[in-house]
Amino acid sequence: MGKILEISNASVGYDDDIILRDINFSLSDLDFVGVIGPNGGGKTTLLRLLLGEIKPVKGSVKYFPMAPNETMFGYLPQVSSIDHKFPISVLEVVLSGLLGRKRIGGRYTKHDKKLALEMLERMSIADLRGKAIGELSGGQMQRVFLSRALVSHPRLLILDEPNTFVDNKFEKELYQLLKELNKEMAILMVSHDLGTITTHVKTIACVNRNLHYHPSNVISTEQLAAYDCPIQLITHGTVPHTVLPKHSK
Amino acid sequence: MFQIFKDFFDFQFITNAFLAALLVAVAAGLVGSYIVARRLVFLSGGITHASFGGIGIAYYLGLNPILGAAVFAVLTAFGVEALSQKFTVREDSAIGILWSVGMAIGVFFVFLTPGYAPNLMSFLFGSILTVSTQDIVLLLILDAAMIAFFILFYRPILYLAFDPVFARTQKVPEKLFTYILKAFVAITIVLSIRLVGIILLISLLTIPPTIANLFTKRFDRIIYISIIVGFVGAILGLVVSYGLNVPSGVTIILALTIIFLISRITRYVMVKIKTQYA
Repeated sequence: MGKILEISNASVGYDDDIILRDINFSLSDLDFVGVIGPNGGGKTTLLRLLLGEIKPVKGSVKYFPMAPNETMFGYLPQVSSIDHKFPISVLEVVLSGLLGRKRIGGRYTKHDKKLALEMLERMSIADLRGKAIGELSGGQMQRVFLSRALVSHPRLLILDEPNTFVDNKFEKELYQLLKELNKEMAILMVSHDLGTITTHVKTIACVNRNLHYHPSNVISTEQLAAYDCPIQLITHGTVPHTVLPKHSK
Repeated sequence: MFQIFKDFFDFQFITNAFLAALLVAVAAGLVGSYIVARRLVFLSGGITHASFGGIGIAYYLGLNPILGAAVFAVLTAFGVEALSQKFTVREDSAIGILWSVGMAIGVFFVFLTPGYAPNLMSFLFGSILTVSTQDIVLLLILDAAMIAFFILFYRPILYLAFDPVFARTQKVPEKLFTYILKAFVAITIVLSIRLVGIILLISLLTIPPTIANLFTKRFDRIIYISIIVGFVGAILGLVVSYGLNVPSGVTIILALTIIFLISRITRYVMVKIKTQYA
């Protein structure tokens, strides 16, 4: 148990176009952070910064690995970023989640395949293992990409809008699953869905050019206004929620 | 018909053409499967056409045209990225620009070259007469290098093509791999010019994987089937090219198109039968 990563005074972007300014943020084991904020506010940029995809122009991102060979991240990208016609099978996709553990050019072992198949079974989609990615429904595809993210047992699971393109049944299962996973790993989830976020996460990060960390899953209109975080609301059914007025800057 | 086949192999240039067809089919199968899966077809078209600039300049200076084409092809492959990233030109616009600028430079220097440029048509549409032993050796080296690379790094290549962001989180050296693969694309294009020519080359790369994709959704099988299809198409094309005295690029592409149509119909019938008896 301990700190996983720490961002200090980091700015991201180009000289004339700073997307995130002077952000401070840290993540520890078993955290469950919901990331909210308007489109174009820098949510995806924050994920790319965490993943080490982009370097800050100012400030630093520090990682605190516990074991030399641990898998730090499991990453679930937005489904819309995936080429659905790509010739690749479900099992191959899940196996790609183990690539980081290998030397470059290393072969997959029987054990790797067993891990991948167990993961598919846990997601109850083992029967789809030979299917091409393009033959799946939205919910099935999300399960496959979640399997890929989880197969290496990461310390931190990063989810970019996991509840888009999926049916209600899968969404319920997803949150149940995340609750279980959170007993073993930290989770950071980007979502448009404030209602869902507040019922499932432990803490909230509001991202809109700046980052305001809110150390609770209850957030009020006034606080959102103070954080300058006008978010788009999508609500489903009976989840308790408050519809917040759009506030001026 | 048999007589044509018998005459066919009596000539050294025919043997060369046959060997070239086999070697080009391997390179084109590997590169074609990759560019189709990763949606780099337009970039490859740009590289192909821009390489004509190198051919024109080499003609003018009296150098080996294939060498000139190689320089231009590699410059274009990397120039598109430089243009779109350093000068913020949109990527498809950058490809379009280099595509026609290369052709313009080529035609410009061909016209400045004193005397008649007899091989121009063969560079545009391919010719079996022009395949030299040196081309065969170069193709052999390219094939060996590419087969080794694809066998050693099959998984990183596949995963990088499928989802580069995720591949990077799995410690795949994206930049290095993308550069190596781009270089392979450029060199494959240049060494295929003799056989099919600049204008028709892109179909040699795209038709075989498209046919393969009708029957399998697995990347490795697409590569194998593409190589076989490409080889069959090239041989059929060469025989017709020899028999009718038509540029080989034209006959090879038409042969591949006919194979595609037959495959499409076969696939349609297969699915019909399957659903009827399922």
